Amino acid sequence: MINCKNPYSYIEAEILNITTETSNIKTFTLKPRETIPFLAGQFMDVSVPGVGEAPFTPSSNHKIADKLDFTIMNVGRVTGLLHEMEKGKTVGLRGPYGTAYPIAEWKNKEIFIVGGGVGLAPLRALLYALFNNIDDYKKIILRYGARTYKDIVYINEIETWKKRAANVDIGVTVDVGDELWKGNVGLVTTVLKDSGVDINNAVSIVCGPPIMMKFVTFKLLDMGFKDNQIYLSMEKNMSCGIGKCGHCRIGPYYACKDGPVFTYDKLKNLPNIWD
Amino acid sequence: MLVTHYSITKSDLFDLLARLAQTSRVFVPYSCDSQRSENIRFYFGEFDPSRESAVELGGVRQSQPFKSFISPARETVMGGNEPGPKPAQRHSLRSGTGRVIVAGVKACDLSSLILQDYVYLKGDVKDPFYAFRRDNTLIISCDCTYAKETCFCVAMGGRPYPTKDFDLNLSPQDGFFVVEVGSDKGREIVDSYKTFFKNCKNRDFSGRDSMRENVGLQIQDFIKKRGTPDTAAINGNVKKSYDNLPLWQDAASTCVECGACNLVCPTCHCFLLFDESARQKIGRGKVWDACLYKTFAKVAGNHNPRKYLYERMRNRFDKKFAFFPEVLGYFACTGCGRCIEACPGNIDIREVLKGVVTGKWKKPPHD
Repeated sequence: MINCKNPYSYIEAEILNITTETSNIKTFTLKPRETIPFLAGQFMDVSVPGVGEAPFTPSSNHKIADKLDFTIMNVGRVTGLLHEMEKGKTVGLRGPYGTAYPIAEWKNKEIFIVGGGVGLAPLRALLYALFNNIDDYKKIILRYGARTYKDIVYINEIETWKKRAANVDIGVTVDVGDELWKGNVGLVTTVLKDSGVDINNAVSIVCGPPIMMKFVTFKLLDMGFKDNQIYLSMEKNMSCGIGKCGHCRIGPYYACKDGPVFTYDKLKNLPNIWD
Repeated sequence: MLVTHYSITKSDLFDLLARLAQTSRVFVPYSCDSQRSENIRFYFGEFDPSRESAVELGGVRQSQPFKSFISPARETVMGGNEPGPKPAQRHSLRSGTGRVIVAGVKACDLSSLILQDYVYLKGDVKDPFYAFRRDNTLIISCDCTYAKETCFCVAMGGRPYPTKDFDLNLSPQDGFFVVEVGSDKGREIVDSYKTFFKNCKNRDFSGRDSMRENVGLQIQDFIKKRGTPDTAAINGNVKKSYDNLPLWQDAASTCVECGACNLVCPTCHCFLLFDESARQKIGRGKVWDACLYKTFAKVAGNHNPRKYLYERMRNRFDKKFAFFPEVLGYFACTGCGRCIEACPGNIDIREVLKGVVTGKWKKPPHD
């Protein structure tokens, strides 16, 4: 819950575990001093106390509120420092912010999830949320693209997802093949058409780098998805989380409070959304 | 019928401010002398009866925006070990009633309050620091007694005299002020210091009204001479000009990305949260940010959705003349003209808006 007395302050959280996913991606399991309930799709600010904070979406099952996973790529100042931290150290958590995936509205539908790179992190939280009531959904399809075999996150977990239930269909592709990879080679956009999704009864959820989201969206539209069936995670410079600091504006919206997930119909007439 | 207007002599007003300063921090505008009268600037400072002669409650808007009293340029929001409004109290309020009184505030600052309040007080979460200061700041506004060439409040739908959002308003006359009560807080002052406030005479109102009209005409004259577009002319045109890249590139051609236009703007509200530590103590601060700065929209991995300066210039206009009208129904420009005065690159918001309306504009060469 957001601290209304002081929305800029954080709750301390202990690093319980660190899993190395790839050469520059780690999953941090955090135990906050107070439980922080959240829903899949919402994000939080993770701080290195006294140094800085950055927004991330928890990647774990929201039903487990006392332990949260954050899968973080080392790309900047705060993430670099997080990557240097060890088990037992303290970080700060603030949030959750933004709107959740409307999974209750998706009952009896086919859920077509498309992820790219570390963009699988929020989608992992979504998958677990869907798995909690797996029979509510007709099909859960994931198409995930990573640059190479070595860049695939949650590689062992993906195998367990594949066996989760008969209505779960998981496909992984890499942009560049090598001797370690036996599966499909090609951009994620090339494996969408043959996924067997029933477009008339489906929603698609996309998260990945901006360029990937752009071409996946165009592909989905091409396949026949309607604008309001496509859910996009917009990466903006969310800072305060409560629509005040002004950094994450997209047209008439703030990504931190009106997003970070938007249906494409809300975005399509706004300029430069993919930049 | 409840009396809403009074008159107060200049010396009684200064006595009143001195009395109020015993329990509150009182700020007034001081004029900085200049050889040329059009260069006189006004700055808020704490009321000091020994400097009474330099106090100018009338005049035109001060160089500092009033927002600095309710949303200071820098404040601690965490790490004073106490959540809630206490850090705010520590940084700008004296013990006692915890009240700040600002006198001489101009209409172009008051009309920014609806925007600042929308940002900081509306929505699911209030900013408790802003809320605390807003509640504890009493505004004694004052009519403008003349206009600067950079004034264009009338084009933005404003007037050079306050009509709302004040606690007390002063209209300077010869040796006295017409006082208008604008709120319960203002009423309380009048009731507590009854002896200072006298009844108004009809001729006081006519004096006030003719001054208001004259200053308004002066501003209208400036607007006309320059061809500054008004809100009706601007409406919708920033959106339409979005892809007119030469317009924005011209507008940004002399911008040095100092952010002065953002910082002096009464409606700009963006801030940056920053963390710091020293001697084992950890703190979080909030500091004014500027959308002209290159890093404003930057995200992870050095990706920047507004990497070009012209995109950031366009964003500033988009926020003020497209975003706020869309979400709130108000333009986020009050016509105070501070950004024109502050810009070292001679970028004039009125000229850019003319370009937005006409679709073509070439920045005049720098002199």
